[in-house]
Amino acid sequence: MKVSFFETARYLPPRPLPPEWPVAPGTYDAEAGAAAYRGMIARLQYVEELGFDWVSVSEHHYSPRILTPSPIVAAAFIAAHLKRITIALLGPIVPHSNPVRVAEELAMLDTLTQGRLIVGLLRGTANEAMTYDLNPQEARERTDEGMALILRAWTEPQPFGWQGRHFQYRTVSIWPRPLQQPHPPTFALGTSRESLEFAARHRLGCGVSYGPFEVMGRATQYYREQCARHGWRPAPEQIVYRANMLVAETDDDAHALLRAQSTQAPFALRAGVRDAVMSLDARNIAGQARAAVVSGALPTTFVGSPDTVVEQVRRCREMTGAGVLDLSLHPPGSSELEPLTRALELFGAKVLPRIREL
Amino acid sequence: MTAGGVAHTGFREGEIEVDGRRLRYAEGGQGPALVHVPGGGGPHLTPAHDLLAGHFRVLVFEPPATEQWPDTDIASGLALATERLGVEAFDLLGTSSSAAAAVRLALLAPHRVRALVLEAPLAIDPARRDPELERRLSQLTPPTLVLFGTEDTVAPAEMGRVYRALIPGSHLVFVYAAAHAIAVDRPEAFAEVVVDFLERHEAFVISRARSVILP
Repeated sequence: MKVSFFETARYLPPRPLPPEWPVAPGTYDAEAGAAAYRGMIARLQYVEELGFDWVSVSEHHYSPRILTPSPIVAAAFIAAHLKRITIALLGPIVPHSNPVRVAEELAMLDTLTQGRLIVGLLRGTANEAMTYDLNPQEARERTDEGMALILRAWTEPQPFGWQGRHFQYRTVSIWPRPLQQPHPPTFALGTSRESLEFAARHRLGCGVSYGPFEVMGRATQYYREQCARHGWRPAPEQIVYRANMLVAETDDDAHALLRAQSTQAPFALRAGVRDAVMSLDARNIAGQARAAVVSGALPTTFVGSPDTVVEQVRRCREMTGAGVLDLSLHPPGSSELEPLTRALELFGAKVLPRIREL
Repeated sequence: MTAGGVAHTGFREGEIEVDGRRLRYAEGGQGPALVHVPGGGGPHLTPAHDLLAGHFRVLVFEPPATEQWPDTDIASGLALATERLGVEAFDLLGTSSSAAAAVRLALLAPHRVRALVLEAPLAIDPARRDPELERRLSQLTPPTLVLFGTEDTVAPAEMGRVYRALIPGSHLVFVYAAAHAIAVDRPEAFAEVVVDFLERHEAFVISRARSVILP
Protein backbone atom coordinates (compact mmCIF):
# COMPACT_ATOMS: atom_id res chain seq x y z
CA MET A 1 0.00 0.00 0.00
CA LYS A 2 1.28 3.44 -0.88
CA VAL A 3 0.71 6.20 1.63
CA SER A 4 0.15 9.84 0.85
CA PHE A 5 0.11 12.78 3.24
CA PHE A 6 -2.54 15.39 2.47
CA GLU A 7 -0.86 18.74 3.12
CA THR A 8 -3.09 21.75 3.77
CA ALA A 9 -0.56 24.42 4.89
CA ARG A 10 -1.97 24.73 8.38
CA TYR A 11 -2.80 28.33 9.23
CA LEU A 12 -2.84 29.25 12.91
CA PRO A 13 -4.98 32.38 13.30
CA PRO A 14 -3.84 34.78 16.03
CA ARG A 15 -7.50 35.75 16.55
CA PRO A 16 -10.72 33.74 16.10
CA LEU A 17 -12.03 33.85 12.53
CA PRO A 18 -15.58 34.35 11.31
CA PRO A 19 -17.04 30.87 10.66
CA GLU A 20 -18.46 31.72 7.25
CA TRP A 21 -17.27 30.93 3.72
CA PRO A 22 -15.91 33.06 2.12
CA VAL A 23 -13.78 34.17 5.05
CA ALA A 24 -13.26 37.94 5.00
CA PRO A 25 -9.71 38.58 3.70
CA GLY A 26 -9.35 41.47 6.14
CA THR A 27 -9.17 38.89 8.93
CA TYR A 28 -6.08 37.31 7.34
CA ASP A 29 -2.81 37.74 9.23
CA ALA A 30 0.19 38.03 6.91
CA GLU A 31 2.68 36.74 9.51
CA ALA A 32 0.49 33.74 10.26
CA GLY A 33 0.32 33.05 6.52
CA ALA A 34 4.09 33.17 6.17
CA ALA A 35 4.42 30.87 9.19
CA ALA A 36 1.90 28.45 7.64
CA TYR A 37 4.07 27.99 4.55
CA ARG A 38 7.32 27.74 6.58
CA GLY A 39 5.61 25.15 8.75
CA MET A 40 4.42 23.31 5.67
CA ILE A 41 7.97 22.79 4.41
CA ALA A 42 9.32 21.78 7.85
CA ARG A 43 6.47 19.28 8.25
CA LEU A 44 6.91 17.84 4.77
CA GLN A 45 10.64 17.34 5.30
CA TYR A 46 9.63 15.20 8.27
CA VAL A 47 6.94 13.46 6.19
CA GLU A 48 9.58 12.60 3.62
CA GLU A 49 11.92 11.26 6.31
CA LEU A 50 9.14 9.08 7.69
CA GLY A 51 8.91 7.41 4.29
CA PHE A 52 5.57 8.57 2.93
CA ASP A 53 5.31 7.86 -0.80
CA TRP A 54 3.40 10.97 -1.80
CA VAL A 55 2.54 14.38 -0.47
CA SER A 56 -0.75 15.64 -1.89
CA VAL A 57 -2.00 19.18 -2.31
CA SER A 58 -5.40 20.35 -3.51
CA GLU A 59 -7.19 23.45 -4.74
CA HIS A 60 -9.49 25.33 -2.38
CA HIS A 61 -10.36 28.97 -2.24
CA TYR A 62 -11.32 31.90 -0.05
CA SER A 63 -10.63 30.40 3.38
CA PRO A 64 -7.65 29.33 5.50
CA ARG A 65 -8.95 25.75 5.82
CA ILE A 66 -6.69 24.57 3.03
CA LEU A 67 -4.33 27.38 2.16
CA THR A 68 -3.37 26.30 -1.37
CA PRO A 69 -5.63 28.16 -3.82
CA SER A 70 -3.00 27.38 -6.45
CA PRO A 71 -1.90 23.81 -5.77
CA ILE A 72 0.49 24.08 -8.70
CA VAL A 73 2.42 26.89 -7.01
CA ALA A 74 2.41 24.91 -3.76
CA ALA A 75 3.62 21.77 -5.56
CA ALA A 76 6.48 23.62 -7.26
CA PHE A 77 7.62 25.09 -3.95
CA ILE A 78 7.36 21.77 -2.14
CA ALA A 79 9.20 19.95 -4.92
CA ALA A 80 12.05 22.45 -4.71
CA HIS A 81 12.48 21.74 -0.99
CA LEU A 82 12.09 17.97 -0.99
CA LYS A 83 14.23 15.52 -2.85
CA ARG A 84 12.56 12.14 -3.12
CA ILE A 85 8.86 12.31 -2.37
CA THR A 86 6.29 12.20 -5.18
CA ILE A 87 4.13 15.29 -5.44
CA ALA A 88 0.46 14.45 -5.97
CA LEU A 89 -1.58 17.33 -7.27
CA LEU A 90 -5.12 16.30 -6.30
CA GLY A 91 -5.92 18.43 -8.03
CA PRO A 92 -6.55 21.41 -10.20
CA ILE A 93 -10.29 22.16 -10.33
CA VAL A 94 -10.75 21.67 -14.04
CA PRO A 95 -14.08 23.41 -14.78
CA HIS A 96 -12.94 26.84 -13.67
CA SER A 97 -9.46 26.60 -15.11
CA ASN A 98 -8.05 27.20 -18.56
CA PRO A 99 -7.30 23.56 -19.48
CA VAL A 100 -4.44 24.46 -21.80
CA ARG A 101 -2.80 26.47 -19.03
CA VAL A 102 -3.26 23.52 -16.66
CA ALA A 103 -1.67 21.18 -19.24
CA GLU A 104 1.28 23.56 -19.64
CA GLU A 105 1.84 24.06 -15.93
CA LEU A 106 1.59 20.36 -15.13
CA ALA A 107 3.99 19.46 -17.94
CA MET A 108 6.34 22.09 -16.59
CA LEU A 109 5.97 20.77 -13.06
CA ASP A 110 6.53 17.18 -14.17
CA THR A 111 9.74 18.27 -15.86
CA LEU A 112 10.91 20.55 -13.02
CA THR A 113 10.41 17.69 -10.53
CA GLN A 114 12.21 15.24 -12.85
CA GLY A 115 9.08 13.14 -13.12
CA ARG A 116 7.98 13.13 -9.48
CA LEU A 117 4.46 14.25 -10.35
CA ILE A 118 1.07 12.57 -9.95
CA VAL A 119 -1.99 14.38 -11.28
CA GLY A 120 -5.60 14.20 -10.12
CA LEU A 121 -8.21 16.08 -12.11
CA LEU A 122 -11.60 16.88 -10.65
CA ARG A 123 -14.78 18.89 -10.71
CA GLY A 124 -14.47 20.43 -7.27
CA THR A 125 -16.80 20.62 -4.28
CA ALA A 126 -20.06 22.52 -4.43
CA ASN A 127 -18.84 25.72 -2.76
CA GLU A 128 -15.89 25.98 -5.17
CA ALA A 129 -18.33 26.77 -7.98
CA MET A 130 -18.77 30.20 -6.40
CA THR A 131 -15.07 30.85 -6.82
CA TYR A 132 -14.65 32.41 -10.27
CA ASP A 133 -18.42 32.27 -10.89
CA LEU A 134 -18.75 28.81 -12.35
CA ASN A 135 -22.31 27.74 -13.14
CA PRO A 136 -22.65 24.54 -11.04
CA GLN A 137 -24.93 23.03 -13.65
CA GLU A 138 -22.17 23.25 -16.24
CA ALA A 139 -19.42 21.98 -13.94
CA ARG A 140 -19.62 18.30 -14.94
CA GLU A 141 -19.58 18.98 -18.69
CA ARG A 142 -16.76 21.51 -18.39
CA THR A 143 -14.77 19.02 -16.31
CA ASP A 144 -15.10 16.21 -18.85
CA GLU A 145 -14.22 18.47 -21.75
CA GLY A 146 -11.36 20.14 -19.88
CA MET A 147 -9.84 16.76 -18.93
CA ALA A 148 -10.09 15.52 -22.53
CA LEU A 149 -8.36 18.70 -23.70
CA ILE A 150 -5.58 18.41 -21.08
CA LEU A 151 -4.85 14.82 -22.16
CA ARG A 152 -4.88 15.88 -25.84
CA ALA A 153 -2.58 18.85 -25.20
CA TRP A 154 -0.08 16.59 -23.40
CA THR A 155 0.05 13.97 -26.13
CA GLU A 156 -0.64 15.61 -29.49
CA PRO A 157 2.60 16.03 -31.49
CA GLN A 158 1.16 18.59 -33.94
CA PRO A 159 -0.32 22.02 -33.21
CA PHE A 160 -4.11 21.73 -33.13
CA GLY A 161 -7.31 23.67 -32.63
CA TRP A 162 -10.10 22.64 -30.24
CA GLN A 163 -13.71 23.20 -31.17
CA GLY A 164 -15.37 22.30 -27.89
CA ARG A 165 -18.66 23.01 -26.21
CA HIS A 166 -17.16 25.06 -23.40
CA PHE A 167 -13.64 25.68 -24.62
CA GLN A 168 -12.43 26.89 -27.97
CA TYR A 169 -8.85 27.31 -29.10
CA ARG A 170 -7.50 27.73 -32.59
CA THR A 171 -3.89 27.00 -31.59
CA VAL A 172 -2.65 24.58 -28.92
CA SER A 173 0.98 23.46 -29.01
CA ILE A 174 2.48 23.11 -25.56
CA TRP A 175 6.12 23.33 -24.46
CA PRO A 176 7.51 21.70 -22.42
CA ARG A 177 5.77 18.36 -22.79
CA PRO A 178 5.58 16.07 -19.74
CA LEU A 179 8.76 14.23 -18.78
CA GLN A 180 6.80 11.08 -17.91
CA GLN A 181 5.45 9.62 -21.13
CA PRO A 182 2.86 9.75 -22.44
CA HIS A 183 1.94 11.87 -19.42
CA PRO A 184 2.22 11.78 -15.60
CA PRO A 185 0.13 9.11 -13.85
CA THR A 186 -3.28 10.76 -13.88
CA PHE A 187 -6.43 10.15 -11.85
CA ALA A 188 -9.99 11.28 -12.43
CA LEU A 189 -11.08 12.07 -8.88
CA GLY A 190 -14.67 11.49 -7.82
CA THR A 191 -17.28 8.84 -7.24
CA SER A 192 -19.74 9.86 -9.93
CA ARG A 193 -20.62 7.55 -12.79
CA GLU A 194 -19.37 10.22 -15.20
CA SER A 195 -16.00 10.58 -13.52
CA LEU A 196 -15.45 6.81 -13.21
CA GLU A 197 -16.44 6.23 -16.83
CA PHE A 198 -14.10 8.98 -17.98
CA ALA A 199 -11.26 7.38 -16.01
CA ALA A 200 -11.97 3.96 -17.50
CA ARG A 201 -12.26 5.24 -21.06
CA HIS A 202 -9.02 7.23 -20.90
CA ARG A 203 -7.12 4.59 -18.89
CA LEU A 204 -6.70 6.88 -15.90
CA GLY A 205 -6.67 6.02 -12.22
CA CYS A 206 -9.62 6.92 -10.01
CA GLY A 207 -9.80 8.53 -6.60
CA VAL A 208 -12.60 8.32 -4.06
CA SER A 209 -12.84 10.06 -0.74
CA TYR A 210 -14.25 10.17 2.77
CA GLY A 211 -17.19 7.77 2.33
CA PRO A 212 -17.57 4.40 4.11
CA PHE A 213 -15.60 1.53 2.61
CA GLU A 214 -18.73 -0.23 1.43
CA VAL A 215 -20.03 2.81 -0.44
CA MET A 216 -16.65 3.74 -1.90
CA GLY A 217 -16.23 0.07 -2.79
CA ARG A 218 -19.33 0.35 -4.99
CA ALA A 219 -17.67 3.22 -6.83
CA THR A 220 -14.35 1.42 -7.30
CA GLN A 221 -16.18 -1.76 -8.34
CA TYR A 222 -18.05 0.24 -10.98
CA TYR A 223 -14.72 1.70 -12.11
CA ARG A 224 -13.17 -1.77 -12.47
CA GLU A 225 -16.21 -2.96 -14.44
CA GLN A 226 -15.90 0.03 -16.77
CA CYS A 227 -12.17 -0.59 -17.20
CA ALA A 228 -12.94 -4.19 -18.16
CA ARG A 229 -15.48 -2.93 -20.69
CA HIS A 230 -12.66 -0.87 -22.22
CA GLY A 231 -10.36 -3.87 -22.22
CA TRP A 232 -7.95 -3.20 -19.37
CA ARG A 233 -7.44 -3.82 -15.66
CA PRO A 234 -6.35 -1.06 -13.28
CA ALA A 235 -3.48 -1.76 -10.87
CA PRO A 236 -4.16 -1.22 -7.13
CA GLU A 237 -2.04 1.95 -7.18
CA GLN A 238 -4.50 3.37 -9.72
CA ILE A 239 -7.14 3.62 -7.01
CA VAL A 240 -6.70 6.32 -4.36
CA TYR A 241 -8.79 6.48 -1.21
CA ARG A 242 -8.65 9.80 0.62
CA ALA A 243 -9.75 9.87 4.24
CA ASN A 244 -9.40 11.42 7.66
CA MET A 245 -7.58 9.37 10.30
CA LEU A 246 -7.36 9.90 14.07
CA VAL A 247 -4.69 7.69 15.55
CA ALA A 248 -3.75 7.73 19.26
CA GLU A 249 -1.94 5.40 21.67
CA THR A 250 -5.21 3.70 22.61
CA ASP A 251 -8.66 3.32 21.08
CA ASP A 252 -10.13 5.30 23.97
CA ASP A 253 -7.76 8.21 23.39
CA ALA A 254 -8.59 8.24 19.69
CA HIS A 255 -12.34 8.23 20.30
CA ALA A 256 -11.91 11.00 22.87
CA LEU A 257 -10.18 13.05 20.17
CA LEU A 258 -13.04 12.33 17.78
CA ARG A 259 -15.65 13.41 20.33
CA ALA A 260 -13.78 16.64 20.95
CA GLN A 261 -13.98 17.56 17.25
CA SER A 262 -16.54 19.91 15.86
CA THR A 263 -19.26 18.28 13.78
CA GLN A 264 -19.50 21.42 11.67
CA ALA A 265 -17.30 22.35 8.74
CA PRO A 266 -14.99 25.14 9.90
CA PHE A 267 -16.19 27.68 7.30
CA ALA A 268 -19.72 26.97 6.10
CA LEU A 269 -21.73 28.59 3.35
CA ARG A 270 -24.66 30.81 4.34
CA ALA A 271 -27.73 28.60 4.60
CA GLY A 272 -29.54 30.22 1.67
CA VAL A 273 -26.52 29.86 -0.60
CA ARG A 274 -25.88 26.31 0.56
CA ASP A 275 -29.48 25.24 -0.15
CA ALA A 276 -29.48 26.94 -3.54
CA VAL A 277 -26.20 25.39 -4.65
CA MET A 278 -27.28 21.96 -3.37
CA SER A 279 -30.39 22.12 -5.52
CA LEU A 280 -28.30 22.82 -8.63
CA ASP A 281 -25.37 20.53 -8.01
CA ALA A 282 -26.41 16.94 -8.66
CA ARG A 283 -23.94 14.34 -7.40
CA ASN A 284 -23.92 10.58 -7.49
CA ILE A 285 -21.96 7.51 -6.47
CA ALA A 286 -21.58 5.22 -9.48
CA GLY A 287 -24.95 6.46 -10.70
CA GLN A 288 -26.81 6.52 -7.35
CA ALA A 289 -27.82 10.02 -6.28
CA ARG A 290 -26.25 11.43 -3.14
CA ALA A 291 -26.14 14.79 -1.42
CA ALA A 292 -22.95 16.81 -1.36
CA VAL A 293 -21.36 17.52 2.01
CA VAL A 294 -21.58 21.28 2.33
CA SER A 295 -21.90 22.17 5.99
CA GLY A 296 -21.06 19.19 8.19
CA ALA A 297 -17.49 18.13 8.92
CA LEU A 298 -16.14 15.39 6.68
CA PRO A 299 -16.33 11.96 8.36
CA THR A 300 -13.30 10.35 9.99
CA THR A 301 -12.89 6.89 8.52
CA PHE A 302 -9.98 5.55 10.52
CA VAL A 303 -10.11 5.94 14.32
CA GLY A 304 -8.18 4.09 16.98
CA SER A 305 -4.89 2.78 18.26
CA PRO A 306 -2.18 1.81 15.76
CA ASP A 307 -3.36 -1.82 15.86
CA THR A 308 -6.94 -0.78 15.22
CA VAL A 309 -6.21 1.55 12.31
CA VAL A 310 -3.92 -1.01 10.67
CA GLU A 311 -6.86 -3.42 10.77
CA GLN A 312 -9.18 -0.74 9.37
CA VAL A 313 -6.73 -0.06 6.56
CA ARG A 314 -6.64 -3.77 5.77
CA ARG A 315 -10.43 -3.76 5.49
CA CYS A 316 -10.31 -0.62 3.35
CA ARG A 317 -7.92 -2.34 1.00
CA GLU A 318 -10.17 -5.40 0.78
CA MET A 319 -13.40 -3.50 0.28
CA THR A 320 -12.29 -0.69 -2.04
CA GLY A 321 -9.26 -2.22 -3.73
CA ALA A 322 -7.41 1.05 -3.15
CA GLY A 323 -3.63 0.76 -3.36
CA VAL A 324 -3.01 4.34 -2.24
CA LEU A 325 -4.25 5.98 0.96
CA ASP A 326 -4.26 9.77 1.00
CA LEU A 327 -4.54 10.79 4.64
CA SER A 328 -5.36 13.77 6.78
CA LEU A 329 -4.08 12.92 10.27
CA HIS A 330 -5.91 15.82 11.90
CA PRO A 331 -8.88 17.73 10.45
CA PRO A 332 -7.98 20.38 7.88
CA GLY A 333 -9.04 23.78 9.10
CA SER A 334 -8.25 23.07 12.73
CA SER A 335 -6.41 25.97 14.32
CA GLU A 336 -4.15 23.60 16.29
CA LEU A 337 -0.84 22.27 15.07
CA GLU A 338 0.38 20.16 17.97
CA PRO A 339 -2.14 17.27 17.57
CA LEU A 340 -1.18 16.99 13.91
CA THR A 341 2.52 16.75 14.74
CA ARG A 342 1.83 14.16 17.45
CA ALA A 343 -0.36 12.08 15.09
CA LEU A 344 2.33 12.22 12.42
CA GLU A 345 4.97 10.91 14.86
CA LEU A 346 2.76 8.07 16.01
CA PHE A 347 1.62 7.20 12.50
CA GLY A 348 5.18 7.23 11.19
CA ALA A 349 6.45 4.98 14.00
CA LYS A 350 3.62 2.49 14.45
CA VAL A 351 1.28 2.52 11.44
CA LEU A 352 3.16 3.41 8.28
CA PRO A 353 5.69 0.54 8.40
CA ARG A 354 2.87 -1.98 8.87
CA ILE A 355 0.50 -0.80 6.14
CA ARG A 356 3.20 -0.63 3.48
CA GLU A 357 3.02 -4.41 3.25
CA LEU A 358 -0.79 -4.64 2.92
CA MET B 1 -34.17 16.54 -49.63
CA THR B 2 -34.34 15.61 -45.98
CA ALA B 3 -31.93 14.71 -43.25
CA GLY B 4 -33.15 13.31 -39.96
CA GLY B 5 -36.70 14.27 -40.94
CA VAL B 6 -35.76 17.96 -41.27
CA ALA B 7 -36.74 19.57 -44.57
CA HIS B 8 -34.05 21.79 -46.04
CA THR B 9 -36.38 24.21 -47.72
CA GLY B 10 -33.56 26.50 -48.73
CA PHE B 11 -32.01 23.80 -50.91
CA ARG B 12 -33.23 22.79 -54.34
CA GLU B 13 -32.19 19.66 -56.20
CA GLY B 14 -30.61 19.54 -59.62
CA GLU B 15 -28.97 17.13 -61.99
CA ILE B 16 -26.18 17.56 -64.47
CA GLU B 17 -24.64 15.22 -67.00
CA VAL B 18 -20.88 14.79 -67.22
CA ASP B 19 -18.98 12.05 -69.05
CA GLY B 20 -22.26 10.28 -69.73
CA ARG B 21 -23.08 10.12 -66.01
CA ARG B 22 -25.94 11.92 -64.33
CA LEU B 23 -24.65 13.73 -61.30
CA ARG B 24 -27.25 14.79 -58.75
CA TYR B 25 -26.68 17.76 -56.50
CA ALA B 26 -28.46 20.10 -54.09
CA GLU B 27 -27.92 23.82 -54.05
CA GLY B 28 -28.77 26.45 -51.47
CA GLY B 29 -27.69 29.82 -50.12
CA GLN B 30 -25.94 32.78 -51.63
CA GLY B 31 -22.40 34.04 -51.64
CA PRO B 32 -19.08 32.57 -52.71
CA ALA B 33 -19.42 29.00 -53.96
CA LEU B 34 -18.74 26.12 -51.58
CA VAL B 35 -18.63 22.68 -53.18
CA HIS B 36 -19.23 19.76 -50.83
CA VAL B 37 -18.50 16.14 -51.71
CA PRO B 38 -20.08 14.13 -48.88
CA GLY B 39 -19.02 10.65 -47.83
CA GLY B 40 -20.77 7.46 -48.98
CA GLY B 41 -24.48 6.74 -48.92
CA GLY B 42 -27.08 8.73 -50.82
CA PRO B 43 -27.15 12.49 -51.32
CA HIS B 44 -27.84 13.95 -47.90
CA LEU B 45 -28.11 17.29 -46.20
CA THR B 46 -27.45 18.04 -42.55
CA PRO B 47 -28.34 21.02 -40.34
CA ALA B 48 -24.76 22.15 -40.97
CA HIS B 49 -25.62 22.76 -44.63
CA ASP B 50 -28.29 25.24 -43.58
CA LEU B 51 -25.72 27.05 -41.44
CA LEU B 52 -23.19 27.09 -44.29
CA ALA B 53 -25.87 28.32 -46.71
CA GLY B 54 -26.11 31.46 -44.57
CA HIS B 55 -22.65 32.38 -45.85
CA PHE B 56 -22.10 30.54 -49.11
CA ARG B 57 -23.77 29.31 -52.26
CA VAL B 58 -23.51 25.65 -51.21
CA LEU B 59 -23.41 22.92 -53.85
CA VAL B 60 -23.72 19.44 -52.35
CA PHE B 61 -22.94 16.73 -54.87
CA GLU B 62 -24.14 13.19 -54.72
CA PRO B 63 -21.49 11.12 -52.97
CA PRO B 64 -19.74 9.27 -55.77
CA ALA B 65 -19.65 5.48 -55.65
CA THR B 66 -15.88 5.28 -55.66
CA GLU B 67 -15.65 1.61 -56.60
CA GLN B 68 -17.29 2.38 -59.98
CA TRP B 69 -15.67 5.73 -60.49
CA PRO B 70 -11.97 6.30 -59.67
CA ASP B 71 -11.03 9.40 -57.67
CA THR B 72 -9.34 10.96 -60.71
CA ASP B 73 -12.53 10.69 -62.76
CA ILE B 74 -14.66 12.02 -59.91
CA ALA B 75 -12.32 14.98 -59.68
CA SER B 76 -12.45 15.77 -63.39
CA GLY B 77 -16.22 15.17 -63.39
CA LEU B 78 -16.69 17.66 -60.55
CA ALA B 79 -14.39 20.16 -62.27
CA LEU B 80 -16.56 19.95 -65.36
CA ALA B 81 -19.88 19.94 -63.49
CA THR B 82 -19.03 23.05 -61.48
CA GLU B 83 -17.86 24.82 -64.62
CA ARG B 84 -21.16 24.08 -66.34
CA LEU B 85 -23.00 25.40 -63.29
CA GLY B 86 -21.18 28.69 -63.79
CA VAL B 87 -18.88 28.25 -60.82
CA GLU B 88 -15.34 29.40 -61.55
CA ALA B 89 -13.55 29.61 -58.17
CA PHE B 90 -14.91 27.72 -55.16
CA ASP B 91 -14.16 26.48 -51.68
CA LEU B 92 -14.08 22.71 -51.44
CA LEU B 93 -15.25 20.46 -48.62
CA GLY B 94 -14.52 16.73 -48.83
CA THR B 95 -15.97 14.38 -46.23
CA SER B 96 -14.88 10.91 -45.12
CA SER B 97 -14.46 8.55 -48.10
CA SER B 98 -14.77 11.50 -50.52
CA ALA B 99 -11.80 13.34 -49.07
CA ALA B 100 -9.46 11.61 -51.53
CA ALA B 101 -11.54 12.84 -54.49
CA ALA B 102 -11.51 16.37 -53.03
CA VAL B 103 -7.72 16.20 -52.78
CA ARG B 104 -7.58 15.08 -56.44
CA LEU B 105 -9.80 17.98 -57.45
CA ALA B 106 -7.68 20.49 -55.52
CA LEU B 107 -4.59 19.18 -57.33
CA LEU B 108 -6.36 19.10 -60.71
CA ALA B 109 -7.68 22.66 -60.46
CA PRO B 110 -5.49 24.50 -57.94
CA HIS B 111 -6.36 27.86 -59.53
CA ARG B 112 -10.08 27.26 -58.96
CA VAL B 113 -10.02 25.85 -55.41
CA ARG B 114 -9.72 28.80 -53.02
CA ALA B 115 -9.47 26.68 -49.88
CA LEU B 116 -9.92 23.04 -48.91
CA VAL B 117 -11.61 21.49 -45.88
CA LEU B 118 -11.23 17.78 -45.15
CA GLU B 119 -13.88 16.53 -42.70
CA ALA B 120 -12.98 13.22 -40.97
CA PRO B 121 -10.97 12.21 -44.05
CA LEU B 122 -10.42 8.57 -44.91
CA ALA B 123 -7.85 9.36 -47.63
CA ILE B 124 -4.99 7.73 -45.71
CA ASP B 125 -5.56 4.13 -44.71
CA PRO B 126 -3.44 3.73 -41.55
CA ALA B 127 -3.17 -0.02 -42.18
CA ARG B 128 -1.99 0.42 -45.76
CA ARG B 129 -0.04 3.65 -46.17
CA ASP B 130 0.25 4.79 -49.78
CA PRO B 131 3.39 6.83 -50.55
CA GLU B 132 1.88 8.06 -53.82
CA LEU B 133 -1.18 9.47 -52.05
CA GLU B 134 1.01 11.06 -49.36
CA ARG B 135 3.13 12.67 -52.05
CA ARG B 136 -0.06 14.13 -53.51
CA LEU B 137 -1.10 15.50 -50.11
CA SER B 138 2.27 17.21 -49.79
CA GLN B 139 1.64 18.93 -53.14
CA LEU B 140 -1.61 20.59 -52.11
CA THR B 141 -1.44 24.36 -52.48
CA PRO B 142 -4.81 25.75 -51.28
CA PRO B 143 -5.11 26.70 -47.60
CA THR B 144 -6.30 23.47 -45.97
CA LEU B 145 -8.25 22.77 -42.80
CA VAL B 146 -8.45 19.20 -41.47
CA LEU B 147 -11.21 18.33 -38.98
CA PHE B 148 -11.42 15.24 -36.77
CA GLY B 149 -14.05 14.35 -34.17
CA THR B 150 -12.61 13.33 -30.81
CA GLU B 151 -15.01 10.33 -30.66
CA ASP B 152 -14.46 9.12 -34.22
CA THR B 153 -13.89 5.36 -34.40
CA VAL B 154 -13.91 5.21 -38.23
CA ALA B 155 -11.28 7.88 -38.82
CA PRO B 156 -9.51 8.08 -35.43
CA ALA B 157 -8.56 11.58 -34.29
CA GLU B 158 -4.93 10.41 -34.02
CA MET B 159 -4.81 10.44 -37.84
CA GLY B 160 -5.15 14.22 -37.75
CA ARG B 161 -1.48 14.68 -36.97
CA VAL B 162 -0.53 12.73 -40.13
CA TYR B 163 -2.50 15.10 -42.37
CA ARG B 164 -1.22 18.12 -40.46
CA ALA B 165 2.36 16.96 -41.03
CA LEU B 166 1.88 16.06 -44.71
CA ILE B 167 -0.17 18.97 -46.04
CA PRO B 168 1.94 22.14 -46.19
CA GLY B 169 0.60 24.97 -44.03
CA SER B 170 -2.49 22.99 -43.07
CA HIS B 171 -4.49 23.43 -39.88
CA LEU B 172 -5.83 20.64 -37.69
CA VAL B 173 -8.89 21.17 -35.50
CA PHE B 174 -10.49 18.60 -33.20
CA VAL B 175 -14.24 18.84 -32.82
CA TYR B 176 -14.97 17.71 -29.28
CA ALA B 177 -17.66 15.09 -28.66
CA ALA B 178 -18.16 14.48 -32.39
CA ALA B 179 -17.87 11.03 -33.93
CA HIS B 180 -17.29 10.35 -37.64
CA ALA B 181 -20.25 12.45 -38.82
CA ILE B 182 -18.92 15.70 -37.38
CA ALA B 183 -21.45 17.94 -39.15
CA VAL B 184 -24.32 15.81 -37.84
CA ASP B 185 -23.03 15.53 -34.28
CA ARG B 186 -21.96 19.16 -33.77
CA PRO B 187 -23.43 21.23 -36.63
CA GLU B 188 -22.83 24.63 -35.02
CA ALA B 189 -19.27 23.78 -34.01
CA PHE B 190 -18.58 22.39 -37.47
CA ALA B 191 -20.08 25.33 -39.38
CA GLU B 192 -18.43 27.97 -37.18
CA VAL B 193 -14.90 26.75 -37.77
CA VAL B 194 -15.48 25.99 -41.47
CA VAL B 195 -16.98 29.43 -42.16
CA ASP B 196 -14.27 31.21 -40.18
CA PHE B 197 -11.53 29.32 -42.00
CA LEU B 198 -13.02 29.84 -45.45
CA GLU B 199 -13.48 33.55 -44.77
CA ARG B 200 -10.10 34.25 -43.22
CA HIS B 201 -7.83 31.33 -44.14
CA GLU B 202 -4.71 31.33 -41.94
CA ALA B 203 -5.85 34.43 -40.07
CA PHE B 204 -8.66 32.37 -38.53
CA VAL B 205 -6.21 31.60 -35.70
CA ILE B 206 -6.60 35.20 -34.52
CA SER B 207 -9.60 35.40 -32.21
CA ARG B 208 -12.42 37.81 -32.96
CA ALA B 209 -14.48 36.67 -30.00
CA ARG B 210 -15.51 39.59 -27.81
CA SER B 211 -15.05 39.27 -24.07
CA VAL B 212 -16.84 42.43 -23.01
CA ILE B 213 -19.67 41.30 -20.72
CA LEU B 214 -21.12 44.61 -19.64
CA PRO B 215 -20.00 47.70 -21.54
